[in-house]
Amino acid sequence: MAANFWTSSHFKQLLDQEEVDVVNPLDKGKGITLEDFKLIKMHMANYIGKLATYVKVRQRVVATAVTYMRRVYTRKSMVEYDPRLVAPTCLYLASKAEESTVQARLLVFYIKKQIPDDKYKYEIKDILEMEMKILEAINYYLVVFHPYRSLSQLLQDAGLNDITMTQLTWGIVNDTYKMDLILVHPPHLIALACIYIASVLRDKDTTSWFEELRVDMNVVKNISMEILDFYENHHKPINEDRISAAANAALSKLALKP
Amino acid sequence: MAEVDLAKKVADRYLKREVLGEGTYGVVYKAIDTKTGQTVAIKKIRLGKQKEGVNFTALREIKLLKELKDPNIIELIDAFPHKGNLHLVFEFMETDLEAVIRDRNIFLSPADIKSYLQMTLKGLAYCHKKWVLHRDMKPNNLLIGPNGQLKLADFGLARIFGSPDRRFTHQVFARWYRAPELLFGTKQYGSGVDVWAAACIFAELLLRRPFLQGSSDIDQLGKIFAAFGTPTSSQWPDMVFLPDYVEYQYVPAPTLRSMFPMASDDALDLLSKMFTYDPKARISVQQALEHRYFSSAPLPTAPDKLPRPAPKRESKNSDFDPHEGPTVLSPPRKSRRVMPQPDGFDGGEIRQPAGENTSRNEPVPMSVDFSIFGAKPPNRPTINSADRTHLKRKLDLEFQHPEESMR
Repeated sequence: MAANFWTSSHFKQLLDQEEVDVVNPLDKGKGITLEDFKLIKMHMANYIGKLATYVKVRQRVVATAVTYMRRVYTRKSMVEYDPRLVAPTCLYLASKAEESTVQARLLVFYIKKQIPDDKYKYEIKDILEMEMKILEAINYYLVVFHPYRSLSQLLQDAGLNDITMTQLTWGIVNDTYKMDLILVHPPHLIALACIYIASVLRDKDTTSWFEELRVDMNVVKNISMEILDFYENHHKPINEDRISAAANAALSKLALKP
Repeated sequence: MAEVDLAKKVADRYLKREVLGEGTYGVVYKAIDTKTGQTVAIKKIRLGKQKEGVNFTALREIKLLKELKDPNIIELIDAFPHKGNLHLVFEFMETDLEAVIRDRNIFLSPADIKSYLQMTLKGLAYCHKKWVLHRDMKPNNLLIGPNGQLKLADFGLARIFGSPDRRFTHQVFARWYRAPELLFGTKQYGSGVDVWAAACIFAELLLRRPFLQGSSDIDQLGKIFAAFGTPTSSQWPDMVFLPDYVEYQYVPAPTLRSMFPMASDDALDLLSKMFTYDPKARISVQQALEHRYFSSAPLPTAPDKLPRPAPKRESKNSDFDPHEGPTVLSPPRKSRRVMPQPDGFDGGEIRQPAGENTSRNEPVPMSVDFSIFGAKPPNRPTINSADRTHLKRKLDLEFQHPEESMR
């Protein structure tokens, strides 16, 4: 599939970072800052990942769901599209689009069982209604490309496909979904940035391998810097509870579901 | 607020016309796109009562058609929710290849057949280039537009086949178009399955009837072997390892020439390459398009010169007139493509005054209504009518839905 990324809707929809970092006026009116905006999206990415472990879907489904969620908020406000409903609905929609359907009632069941906060409780009909709204918000574009596929190919090509390197890079790729990278950069460049970071971290000399690739290393380095900045800001290992608390504080500004 | 906008959109942009019929997942009606003046077909996707949101098959079709833009693939123009239902807007197609093949008043010249096959393969080549398998190729899913363009439609079974080891269900295609590897239960297959189906369509164009009409999966294999001979392991080394492989009694192959007496040598050469048993040795769609059959005389007929069942005269009423409400123009087109209306259903818009569609002075509907000729078309098997016992046995064996094994 990687071969036709350049003709895909995903490629055509890539945005500049400045376009992604726009807080919707409606949310701004409620006092949501750019920091809050990013924090809520990160928290929702974590939430989707958590739900996915209960309903047992592939990482690919999680990645697609997070991408849908992030695309929604490039066009819609959090005031009108409550993230606490958008997140599970994106997982529901992504599970269908990635051909491993999860039933809506199962999602609702686990949310009720596992998430103590009442503000996260929604019914099946809410999810189904939101599904239609999300489809419209993402303009019915459902095919998403991810770094995972190119990651394994690239690691093999670089001769770095041992267990530790694979696990480390795979983990870094997972963490990139806590940022908006997937909306901004082609997936294979994100994969390369993750390999770059991992090889520096593990003292693997990949300079000559990178030089032989016909890619713009400046872009790869910029993505790497972004990922490293992110880790620095959020103290790797990322503390999900702190993010969750901060994101919920930000969400309360929206004053949804009184 | 959003609801108001959407309601306006239907009223403002799409002017609803007559119902065309009932599709696999909802009503299809004709409409005029007031923005472009174009005639469109709108599929209203019924939401399942099982509380599972947007129909899975419809979602698949949306997902793939949003990525596939090609002159030989049906265009998904728009999608919108309206009154809680999802609506898909497609370009309007006048007829389909099945209607062309079945129409005894139509003579298909070798150049016409070449043209229809070429357009079919071009659409398919584009899909395969995008790593999409159609998996439901049959004449009925090859629609024909007002300018004679043939376009692949019905992507409800289509799949992206990115990873080579991904396992798929073999319960795809209408039986008569199913490749032998599928009939032997393979779950790892590729673009070859679409090539086989295209070959069946090619043969059907030449013969003017479905080529291999099996009555069950087992019988289908029997029909294939009767036509091409029982495959030997040297012809198809992997055959014996397929999940449902059973040994068939050896039957020799009649010559292709004896089955297709009217076809040219080039046509038979291409046909035999598309009907190759071993999917690994089967010709690819791209190679098929480069076959000398397409460059040798006679050259393919230009699409707008192709014979079609419809009269050239288009009813004046169909021209967009904003003052006119939805009116019934003709009997529901494509009634064969769609499920019959249940008795007593209040489908007021599609009811016809008696006698109207039998009058010889009226324009004949685009798709041939077989009731006019007093002959019912033979029932085509669909996936739903797939050998139930076989399917059930598979399900019992695997303890899961075949689709789930693809994870």
